[in-house]
Amino acid sequence: MIFCLLIRVSRNQQGVTIRKESTVAGESIQIGRGAACKIRLFDHRVALHHATLRQSKDGELYIEAEGEASLKINGVVEQNASLPPGARVEIGPYLLVVDPASNGPYISLSVETVQLPSIHGAGKVRRVGPVTLTNLGMSKRKLSFGLAICILFFFLLLPLLPGVSSELDKWQSSLPVTLTDSWSPGPLSGGHGVFGAKCSSCHQRAFRAVSDDACTACHKKVGKHLTDDALHASLFKDVHCTECHVDHKGAAGLTRHDSSRCVACHGDIKSRSAKTTVANVHEFSTDHPPFRITVQNGKDGRPAIRVLQNQKGKLLEQPGLKFSHQVHLDKNGVSSPEGDTVMSCHDCHRPDEPGIHFEPISMKKTCQQSGCHGLDFTAPVEGVIPHGSEREVMNRMRSYYAKWLVAAPENMAECGHNGKPENSPQQTLACAAELAQRNAAASLFSKNAGCAECHEIEASDDSEVPWKITPVRLNRNWHAKSVFSHAKHDTTDCTACHDKMNSKTSADIAMPTIEKCRECHVGDQPVKEKVRSTCDSCHRFHGGGDAVK
Amino acid sequence: MNTTQRSGVLNFMHYRYFKLSSMLMVAAIVTYVLAPVGDEPYGGTWLGYVLGIVSALIVLLLLWYGIARRRTPRVRYQRPHPKNGGHKQAGSVQPDFSLRRWEDRGRHLAKDAWSHGGTLQGWLSSHIYLGASLIVLATLHTGFQFGWDVHTLSYVLMLLVIASGFYGMYAYLNYPRLITLNMGEETLDDLLHKIAELDELARIHALGLPDEVNALVLKARQETRLGGSLLRQLSGKQRNCPTISAARQILQLGSKYIKNEQPELMRDLYAVLLRKERLVLRARHEIKLNARLQFWRYLHVPLAVALLAALLAHVVAILFYW
Repeated sequence: MIFCLLIRVSRNQQGVTIRKESTVAGESIQIGRGAACKIRLFDHRVALHHATLRQSKDGELYIEAEGEASLKINGVVEQNASLPPGARVEIGPYLLVVDPASNGPYISLSVETVQLPSIHGAGKVRRVGPVTLTNLGMSKRKLSFGLAICILFFFLLLPLLPGVSSELDKWQSSLPVTLTDSWSPGPLSGGHGVFGAKCSSCHQRAFRAVSDDACTACHKKVGKHLTDDALHASLFKDVHCTECHVDHKGAAGLTRHDSSRCVACHGDIKSRSAKTTVANVHEFSTDHPPFRITVQNGKDGRPAIRVLQNQKGKLLEQPGLKFSHQVHLDKNGVSSPEGDTVMSCHDCHRPDEPGIHFEPISMKKTCQQSGCHGLDFTAPVEGVIPHGSEREVMNRMRSYYAKWLVAAPENMAECGHNGKPENSPQQTLACAAELAQRNAAASLFSKNAGCAECHEIEASDDSEVPWKITPVRLNRNWHAKSVFSHAKHDTTDCTACHDKMNSKTSADIAMPTIEKCRECHVGDQPVKEKVRSTCDSCHRFHGGGDAVK
Repeated sequence: MNTTQRSGVLNFMHYRYFKLSSMLMVAAIVTYVLAPVGDEPYGGTWLGYVLGIVSALIVLLLLWYGIARRRTPRVRYQRPHPKNGGHKQAGSVQPDFSLRRWEDRGRHLAKDAWSHGGTLQGWLSSHIYLGASLIVLATLHTGFQFGWDVHTLSYVLMLLVIASGFYGMYAYLNYPRLITLNMGEETLDDLLHKIAELDELARIHALGLPDEVNALVLKARQETRLGGSLLRQLSGKQRNCPTISAARQILQLGSKYIKNEQPELMRDLYAVLLRKERLVLRARHEIKLNARLQFWRYLHVPLAVALLAALLAHVVAILFYW
């Protein structure tokens, strides 16, 4: 049993020592800052249970450090030591002195707070740097303002400057990195690259949208959507270029391709214009009306008409030409001066340069290739007639006969003359004309031979050329209001869309219907394994609705 | 992760703000997919403007949180008044030391209606979830059009702010617990004092040993670094730490000095250095955890202010060149 008189020593402001005494007793006396300790030392440098006073078997008192705690006894760091009277024990900032009057288990301990040297002081841990971020002097506020000011300077102030002075605008647009670069949301499209960084070329007024005038200053020839100027003006007064043409999209181009803007009107076109003959349309794959194709069935120079493909009765061509695709595309070949020749579509229909239409069909390039459809005649005179007007044909015939009669005057007998060489030129020319007309009537302009093999021939009032060939009008643009590129479809056989293999007459129309197109194409909404097609895939907005850009 | 902590912020009002931001995101995605805004989505379509305005308003709201949390009155640890039921009331507001600094304020104020129309905990919950929803809203606002311009700069800054915020959330939900585990009831100063004492103890033990050992002990005392530069604090490591290498070398030298009391001194010295090593590692761990707990805000706050500046430039650019 240990009996301890505890004397807590402190000093008041005047430095006068104040002593408070208390007693503790026990088999052992715990020292620490914990509540369980009998001698409590209130400092964080003191462990909860720092040390214990114990009595050895021979009655001697000793102190023992607990756990990792350490003690300094009489200036020496120890883990345990006996406590003779006068011993000085340092625990944390406390100095415990064993009173000389102590005797055996009766011990008198004075406890006084003494300031120990700082841990940062010389001779202790020298390398303790800043241990918190605040100690490093970092300031969120300074960082924030610094960053914000940099951003506002480079990305707000500098880009605004060219708007102040046109001279400055001109100068900065020539720099490799311009002041306004950071504001440009993307590269300009195509030809607009000439404007470079001179934003004011299009953005003429601050805080105002790009005006149509900015566009039409250069694009003077842009066509209107409607041919009726008054209607166009009323319907499109609030529609601006930038609704469909948005720049700064680089390679993606300037034009919106989706159909939403078109369908905004054409979804209910009657509400826009009551007189229109155009049907409503929302989506190519669902409610696009049948194609309205251009058909040449007007005789005597009457204009072509446009016929809906579901109007079967009107779907007849009258091109003024007799032609059978079946004969020409015979699998066994068609007879020609070079023998039987198997023909293909491309032998006659050669794509034009853009790959949209085909080169015009001509007698010389198309029908007379490989020596076919020659226009030569042999009896009684030999020669070749031109493929041209009826008058040219007759003139050439007369000239052949005239030469024939001059070379052999006895042939004048064909006209009832005596055949002597003294015939006058007038008699010879008259005879040539008579023979030419007689021969032409029997061969060239007969009903089923000569020209009539391909052409329709009518009688004429002209006494010199009493025949008239019906004008040929071959249809080259069946879809006048839309664009179809044959080049883009050259992976498909012609006959997959144009059923001409069994066509015997030129009145047959073999234009594919919309259903045929829908086998591969869908509208705005993408469908797997189908080709997405928007309105402007086939139609053009500008140019009065015609297929012009 | 401590359930109590999570329920405080993430589970606020039965996930009110999680639901709100989820609805926002789903609505934005559905509209983006279904809305007829054309083939080339970008910020200038009607949906682009809507998403942009909503995102900007959310950014302003999130920035306002930074102001609101500073305006919040500090938690007052009121001493229990004997007349008001004393201990009972004190127990109900017992502070959770694992969430000191930040959580304390939110936790305590959650019980009191906050004068600005909500509790700080609610603000924080909305801050986290609405901030996360910006990833979707602002990305859709861009229409996936990116470039080297102020518009993309704003977007990137926003993503950096959100990323640092996510890290901060992770740190605040985990590090306080790790700090408590590491330090117990001790403080860093306690450890430093103990280290100083062990240094002294080691010096005394080494006095009776050859110079070679004294040099090791001196080096361990003078060159062991705690804290320091930003990277040193964040890493919590010292390459070739002299204390650790001294302990290893003392162990190896144990077979060399076997005269008289040398083995005992060497053993004691080794024990002291091992204790110091453990304390040094704990101190470094404490410094590291605290640095990591604080550092993200040195990114989050300045980047957020930078975002505000970039956002201003972005909006002025759009309106100026309409």
